[in-house]
This record gives sequence, structure tokens and C-alpha cells, in this order.
Amino acid sequence: MLAYLARRLAGTIPVLLAVSIFVFGFVHALPGDPARLEAGPEATPADIALIRQDMGLDGPIWRQYLRWAGNTLEFRLGRSIKTRQPVAQVIGERFMPTLWLTLVSMVWATLAGVGIGVLSGVRRGSVVDRGSMVLAISGVSFPGFWLGLLLIDLFSVRLGWLPTGGYGTWQHFVMPSFTLGIGVAAVMARFTRSAFVEIMAEDYVRTARMKGVSERLVAWKHTLRNAMIPVITLTGLQFGFLLGGAVVVETVFSWPGLGRLLVDSVSYRDYPVIQAEIMLFSLEFVLINLAVDVLYAVANPEIRLK
Amino acid sequence: MHRRTALLMGAALPLAAGFARTARAASDVVVALDANIIGLDPADLNDNLSMTASRTMLQGLYGFDRTMKMIPVLAESTEASPDAMSYVVHLRKGIVFHDGAPFNAAAVKTSFDRAMDPANHLKRAALYAPIAKTEVVDEFTVKISLKYPFGAFLNNLAHQAFAISSPTAIAKYGKDISRHPSGTGPYKFVSWETDTLKVARNEHYWKPGLPKVDSITIKSVPENGARLAMLQAGEAQYIYPMPPEMVKVVEHDPKIEVVSARSIYASFVAMNVMRKPFNDIRVREALNYAVDKQAFLKVVVGGYGVPLDAPLPANLSGYVSQGGPYPYDPAKARKLLAEAGYPNGFEAPLWGGNATTTQRAMQFLQQQFAAVGVKVSVEPLESGTAAAKVWNVKTPEDATTQMYYTGWSASTGDADWGLRPLFYGKSFPPNLFNVAYYANPVVDKAIEDGLTTADPAKRQAAYTIAEAQIWKDCPWVFLISANNVSARVKNFDGVYVLPDGQMLMEDAAFV
Repeated sequence: MLAYLARRLAGTIPVLLAVSIFVFGFVHALPGDPARLEAGPEATPADIALIRQDMGLDGPIWRQYLRWAGNTLEFRLGRSIKTRQPVAQVIGERFMPTLWLTLVSMVWATLAGVGIGVLSGVRRGSVVDRGSMVLAISGVSFPGFWLGLLLIDLFSVRLGWLPTGGYGTWQHFVMPSFTLGIGVAAVMARFTRSAFVEIMAEDYVRTARMKGVSERLVAWKHTLRNAMIPVITLTGLQFGFLLGGAVVVETVFSWPGLGRLLVDSVSYRDYPVIQAEIMLFSLEFVLINLAVDVLYAVANPEIRLK
Repeated sequence: MHRRTALLMGAALPLAAGFARTARAASDVVVALDANIIGLDPADLNDNLSMTASRTMLQGLYGFDRTMKMIPVLAESTEASPDAMSYVVHLRKGIVFHDGAPFNAAAVKTSFDRAMDPANHLKRAALYAPIAKTEVVDEFTVKISLKYPFGAFLNNLAHQAFAISSPTAIAKYGKDISRHPSGTGPYKFVSWETDTLKVARNEHYWKPGLPKVDSITIKSVPENGARLAMLQAGEAQYIYPMPPEMVKVVEHDPKIEVVSARSIYASFVAMNVMRKPFNDIRVREALNYAVDKQAFLKVVVGGYGVPLDAPLPANLSGYVSQGGPYPYDPAKARKLLAEAGYPNGFEAPLWGGNATTTQRAMQFLQQQFAAVGVKVSVEPLESGTAAAKVWNVKTPEDATTQMYYTGWSASTGDADWGLRPLFYGKSFPPNLFNVAYYANPVVDKAIEDGLTTADPAKRQAAYTIAEAQIWKDCPWVFLISANNVSARVKNFDGVYVLPDGQMLMEDAAFV
């Protein structure tokens, strides 16, 4: 197991290297000169030349890449062009809000989604099944900004129960995590249901039933674990996406997260922040993939970690 | 919650006042704005929001009142030499910085010298460029000598870039002063985390009776609806901007007041006068007659604004009305186009930003121009792309700009900065923002005349000539000056949006 983990971790190095080249190339290929944007429309060419030199945007691009890659390896991420804060600090102070929001949203969405999915799968065709699938389709279809503003209007403006936005107490989590999680829960429910229905039709389930195993035991013991494989994959993917920051939800609820930071950084051509953030997202995805593979084996011991 | 405390304490105040005259309501104000603060070092800022935040803590020798009239702040008076080459400034006495350092001539010199030093790479170094040297005459007198005559220099001094930082803070923090601001202003720095800046009452503020609140928290709330919801829910006392299209939501709300104030922001379509067909003045006139400015105002900013009737917006010093905007007259526009050799119009790309309001404006223009036969394609540009297209120009002949819907706000509040960057023959990109590539010797001379004297009457005469000529030549489709629309709860007042979009918070108070 440990050897497997070590091998898998080593395998991430070429992936991250490829990502780093791609990210660097992509960011520098964006039209627009960060020095020009930084200086603003009232600046003179002399101001801009000073700023460009200050940013280290001189010399051939490959040399700039090597310098950046070397510094990144030593965890020297440089300073933000926009705020002149260290990049590690800029990303650091927004990482925890995004992580917490992701965790809270994922936990409730997974529990609710899998629960509803199992229920619908077991009672296929029932009123419960149809009702929850209608809910699930609605959940996927709600645009985040619309749902978010609706919630704000109801719970903050009219009822005064919850803060309109910001980050701090548990009350701040309720609306953003609901808005963010509802889509995940819906996808999860539909996925779990179809996986469940599929497995329920397998021969070994039929055999179990013939042996006289109770319906409940068939559902929980024989079906659920097998049905969990695709659900785990989906959970991993969703988790990775949410960790990248949810621009719409963060904007509507003034959440100090990574999604808004990325959008702001791109429009400001804040190269060091964009690069560091995308590298972070890639690293997160690689680690999540690894965790998902390990979880497969936990869910189904037949899958060996070789 | 804070507001509730404030109200309760406020109700208790008349009773308490009988016992202790110093008793005061605990009052914390929340102001919600639409973007993030980028920094707090005044010499290194070029966005309104950061300058607004900086203004709560740091002050300059001169500043602006709420109509953007220049007023002395840390200066008592100034004697300008007749040739506009040197300025002797007498300072106010008995003022201390937040960190305890005394405010005096040496502090002014330290602050200016640091901002000017090219080694510090500060974004506002250009505004300091006219200065040759700053000298300490005595403890409360400084002499500023210029490299060349500059009549609008006092207006530069009123710019937030000239706010004075404490010399001890400069020595202690160096580059990091952006995170540790220390000035002489009504509020002192408490904290700045991600989207939130907090400043608190300066107990030793030199203006008696101010400030009237204990603290101000500036929050970044980019979503229009969410910002308005904060005001409705009582979480914020003041929001800016108030989106004009949402005014009707709160029009009848008894707790909320929408505040609309004139700006010095001019919106226009610059036409590249070096390129066909815009090199023909009749084409440029035709497009000015083709746009219904009143309808434009309604469609784009909900009616909150005024049409431009001069190259400068009305609130800027030096403005001279040209007798009303170009009238809406499509027939005349068609006739002028025919005379210019375009009886069937022409096609051209119209550039602009990618914000929702900007796109609405561009679509409206597209429809108006189409009505006189001119087909423009709307091309919204993301900010970086726009910067590349507009600024990556070595000679004017390279410029691919044809029509560019954009705007300008002269952050010094003076005619020079409202004309020179936009209409002066030496201001073509990449130097400055003359995106119409307009040059007229009459205008160039008037702009130079205005720059080389400090005599207000002579400057006004020069700008009167420049404005009349520019208006006649129409390098722009002159559009509107939109108002700055904000909103407050009715029991709170004293925050003002200046015509340039920056804000004053010194007088903030619950009423």
C-alpha cells in the first residue's frame, strides 16, 4: 500500500511539470501587458518601463519560465503584481474559506444526494422516486446567481435570519453552501439512483434474493457498496471542481474565496497569482484522484492496488 | 447588529448626556463598495476605491471639498511665483501623525522625496514629475521648486497621490507601508483582510468635533443585488455604486435614500481622425447628430446623468458650455454623410469594455448609427485585450482603433488633465489617452498656454479657446456625463461621492 502510494505520488511529478509549462505558456500568451494594466490609463511610457522592469518581465520567455519554475520548487512564489503582497499570502488567506465552503457543501450534498438516490433506486417508479428526480433536475437547473439572490432576499432582507454575505460565523455558511451544494446533491442523486438500479439487476443480487435475503439487506449489503464506485468517482471530481472556487457563489455572497481571486487576477494579468493558483488546482486534482483510487479499494476489496 | 447597538445607545444618549458630557454612542459604520482595495500607499494607487480608502487615513497639503473644489487641508496658504515655477507652502501647526510623529516641513519633504524616487517604482511618480526639489524653509514652511512652469500644480497637490505619510512609518516599513498606513486623517488603520478594511476614530484628530463615528468598515461586495441587500437588511449604512436599474426596488422603501450626484466622468466614442472615413469632419459631425443623447441617458444609466455640452464635463474647473449638446437630427446626419461621399453609410468596428452597462450602451449606439446608414459591429474587449489593442502602438499609423466607446475622469479635478491627455497632439498612445489621434495647432497652443501660467484668468481664457475648437472639430461623439449614484440608510449621512468617483467619509455620522 505504502509502496503503491509512493509510486503514485512520484507519477504526479511529470504531470505537474507538463501543467506548469502549459500554464506558464498560456498565461504569457494572453493578450495584454500587465505593466500597462498596472500603470493605468493616466501613466506615461516612462512609468510603464519602470514597472515592467520591476516585474521581471524582461529577457526571453524560456528564461522567465526557468526562473519561475525554480522559484516555485523552492516555494518562492513571488509577489502579486496587483497588491504587492506575497503570492503565498494572497492565496493562503483565501484558501481556507474555499476549503471550508467546499467541505460543508460536499458533506451535506453527498449525504443528501446518496440518500435520495438510494431511496429512489430501491423504490423505482414510486412517488418518492419521481418526486426526488423532479427535485434533482430542478437542482441542477437552478442558476446559482438567481437562487443565491432569491435566498438573500428571503432570509436576509425579508426575514432577517441570515447575513447577506461575508465569511465568519456558521450563519455565513448556510446560504452559500446550500446554493453551491444543491447542484452537486442533484447530480449525486441521479448518479446513485442509476448505479443502484443497474446493480439491482445483476445476477448475484437475484441470487441473494432467491436465497431469501431480506430486501433491506440486499440493498445495503449487496448493492450499495458496488454502486458506490461511480459515486466515489463523481464525488472526487465535484470536490476538485469546488476546491477551484465557485466564482458565481463567491461573488453573490461576497465570499473571500479562490474563484473570485482567479477571475480578478486574470483581468489584471497578475501573472504570479494566476500561475500559482492554477498550479495549486492541478495539485489538488492529482491528490484527489489518488484518494479516489484508494477509496475504490476500500469500497470493493476486489480492486487491488497494484 | 452593530446598527441596533447604535440605535439603542443613541436612544439612551440624551439621558447619559446629563451625567457625562463625553458620553457618546458607540457607532460602527459599514460601507459596501463594488471592488477590492488594492493598496493603501497613496503614491502607489490608481484606482478610485483604494484612493477612497487611503483618504480616510491620509491627507495632503490640499484636498477637495464635496463638490471637488480644491481646499487647503494640511496647508494654511501658498504663495506661487508669477512664473508658476515655485510654490511656498505654509503648513498648519500642532498636528501629529497616527504613530505620534509630528507633522512639519521635514515630514512633507520625506514623503515627497520618497514618492518621487524612481528606485521606489511607485505608480504615481508621474504626478510628481514636475517637481525639481522640495526644501524645508523653516519648521512649518516648505518650498517646492518645479522643473518647468506648471499652472495646475496646486491641483496636483490636492490629488490623493500627494497625501503625506508619517516619516517614522516610511523609515520603519519601507515598501510595506501599503499595509501599515499612518497619516494625519480622521481615522486610523485597524486591519485589512481579504475583502474588508477597518479604520477607527483618530482621537487626536486636528479638526474639532470630528470624526463622529467610532469606526468605518469598508467591504467589497461586487454583486449589485447583494450590495443592495446589505443596505436593505441593515448590514450596511452606505453603498456605492447603487445600480440605477435597481432604484425602483427601493424607491418607496422608507428607510433608504438614493443619492445621485454629478460626476466629472465623460463618456464618448473616440473616432480615429487619421483614418478614413473619420478623417472627414462631416462624418464626425454626422455621428454626433445621429445619437439621441436623452434616450442614451435613459437606456444606459436610467436617466441619472446629463448630456455632454462641451469637451469637459460641467463639474470640472475650466468647463465652458458650448450652448447645449449636438441636437438629435438624423436627417442632418444623413445629409452630412452624403456630402462626405457616404450616401449609403459605411461599416466600422466599435470597441468598448465588456461590462453589462457598456455593452448596453454600445448596442444602443449601434442602433442609432444604423438609423443613418452606418453599420458598426459591437466588439466588447476584455480589459487586458483592450489594453493591448489600444496601447501597443508605436506610431499613430499603426493604430487599429477606429471607434472606441470609453470614458475619462480627470483625477486632479482640473481642466489640464481633462484636456491634455485626450486632445493634445503629443498625447497619442502609448504616451497618453488621445485615442482619437486628434491634433490641432490651436488646441495644442491653448493647452500649453494653460499649463505655463498659474494665473486663473489666463488659464480660463486658454481653455475657453481649446474647448470651442475641439467642440467644432468633434474628434469624439460627445455622449454623456453619468451621475454617481449611491444609496444610504436614512439615519446615516455624511459620506459623499466626489465627482471623480472617490469618496469622502470624514463627516460620517448617524443622524
